Amino acid sequence: MGRIIEEIYVWRLPVRLYHWINALCTVALFITGLYIAFPLFNPPLGEAVFFRGMSWWRFIHFAFAFIFIANFLFRMYWALFGGDKYARFGGFRPWSPSWWGKPFLEQVKSYLFLRSDEPNYVGHNPVAALAHFLFIFCGSSFMIFSGLAMYGENNPGGFNSVWFGWMIPLMGGSYTLHWAHHLMAWIFPIYLIMHLYAVFRHDVVDRTSVTSSIVTGYKHKVEEEPA
Amino acid sequence: MQSNQTFADVFKAGGVSRRDFLKFCSLTSVYLGLSPSMVPSVVAAMEKKPRTPVIWLHGQECTCCSESFIRSSHPTIEDIVFNLISLDYDDVLSAAAGHQLEDVRRKTMKDYKGKYILAVEGNVSIKDDGVYCMVGGDSFLNTLKETAADAAAVIAWGACASFGCVQNAHPNPSGAVPISDVIKDKPIVKVPGCPPISEVMTGVVTHFHTFGTLPELDRFGRPKAFYNTRIHDKCYRRAFFEAGQFVRSFDDDATRKGWCLYKMGCKGPTTYNSCSKIQWNGGTSFPIGSGHPCIGCSEPNFWDKGPFYTRLAEVPFLGSDSNADKIGVIAVGAAAAGAAAHAAVTAVKKAKSGSEDNDKA
Repeated sequence: MGRIIEEIYVWRLPVRLYHWINALCTVALFITGLYIAFPLFNPPLGEAVFFRGMSWWRFIHFAFAFIFIANFLFRMYWALFGGDKYARFGGFRPWSPSWWGKPFLEQVKSYLFLRSDEPNYVGHNPVAALAHFLFIFCGSSFMIFSGLAMYGENNPGGFNSVWFGWMIPLMGGSYTLHWAHHLMAWIFPIYLIMHLYAVFRHDVVDRTSVTSSIVTGYKHKVEEEPA
Repeated sequence: MQSNQTFADVFKAGGVSRRDFLKFCSLTSVYLGLSPSMVPSVVAAMEKKPRTPVIWLHGQECTCCSESFIRSSHPTIEDIVFNLISLDYDDVLSAAAGHQLEDVRRKTMKDYKGKYILAVEGNVSIKDDGVYCMVGGDSFLNTLKETAADAAAVIAWGACASFGCVQNAHPNPSGAVPISDVIKDKPIVKVPGCPPISEVMTGVVTHFHTFGTLPELDRFGRPKAFYNTRIHDKCYRRAFFEAGQFVRSFDDDATRKGWCLYKMGCKGPTTYNSCSKIQWNGGTSFPIGSGHPCIGCSEPNFWDKGPFYTRLAEVPFLGSDSNADKIGVIAVGAAAAGAAAHAAVTAVKKAKSGSEDNDKA
């Protein structure tokens, strides 16, 4: 392998913290969510008052949900006001046709093996930006809004029911809302697989140490091996 | 028909004592969720206001709403039909029939223009100009439009009139729609359920009679007094839910112990109704109380959200019935397979270009 010729500080500490808190919450929410939908364990025997067989899972789910929301809001703040070159919405303009132009197509072609060389980006490449927008921004937003709407069902007329309860008629009823929340949860494991694969592959192909960069914050440029 | 009689007059003529009349008013206030200070308003309305004329139409329905309504215990059906509301037209309960009855409907519409309540049981077939539901020589679509035009307010009885129920479940051969799709310019209060609880039905009528306005409605147009909370929130088996004590088969020991029916497909956690509060047949029981999971009959399109005995609704996906988890697992598997294939191609290409480089060198 070639010599490291440049060290670039890409992911600042707030971004790295966001990433790992988000990863932890997503995994915890997915597992507890599935359990709530299908309580697997054998029911305990004895008086109901001594057991937390369901309420415990629900409590964990709600606790992680609120951490997830706070973390998501922090990331939005950081993207908009953090002044962080590699962590802002800056160049992401999917409404403008020019965004879908050359850089995006080049990256798609590279992923489809239609180009031999890999375009090099320090931050997110356009395809990654689009994937993050769809899965992480839109997906999380939907999960947060639908989740808070369902949470508000516990307390009709309360904050969550007033501000997020409109999701219920929008989705055609409480049952459909639960169902949509459940179905949408599956985008996260799908994303996880694609994300891990893409990161490992880039590390092998580009050798930019993208995998460790989310721990250390640094990416590297390496010298091309002499041909 | 004696018009302009007040409720109190009717009670008096029927030999009901003042004491019983006040008892009735108090009970009604309780069912409406009113504070004790509102009882005098109910009494005043019953004493001073003439009975509210009601026209009750039947569209595509099974009459289960009427069946429920006539089993009301507070007040009883005799009180309602003979004393409380002036039920001027109801093709199920009226003694008259045919043209005679249709004339009564037109007369009421003329005499009480803008003052009568239109109660609708059943939904409307709009396909092919509504020929699939003909009542009294005309399509129900026309009758409904005609009668709604001069109504003060409209009550949609039951899941049919409110949301469509089984008639507009997939594939909806008659083009059935809830009445809110046809009546756009009148306030509509939806009283869903298949059927709705009888005390809920009489409570809504009494509210309109007492205050002259519709009760406070939620986002679906249902009276908040009865549809504000879920069955789950007031369910007497809720403790078993929180403890994780679930019935897993209809013949297991947990069934006999009366544990939570969540895993048997109970829709209580997503169903807004008063069943776990007011209960049925004068407070005798309700489905969960009798050991059967709630099927969510007061929720929109509950027939298409089946099956009734599993938690996750089936999703027609590429022609096969599936559910959210099956689709999720398949999609995750596809993503993993895609990643593996992509990795293989990457490896092959890399190996190839690597060997070329070596050849050059």
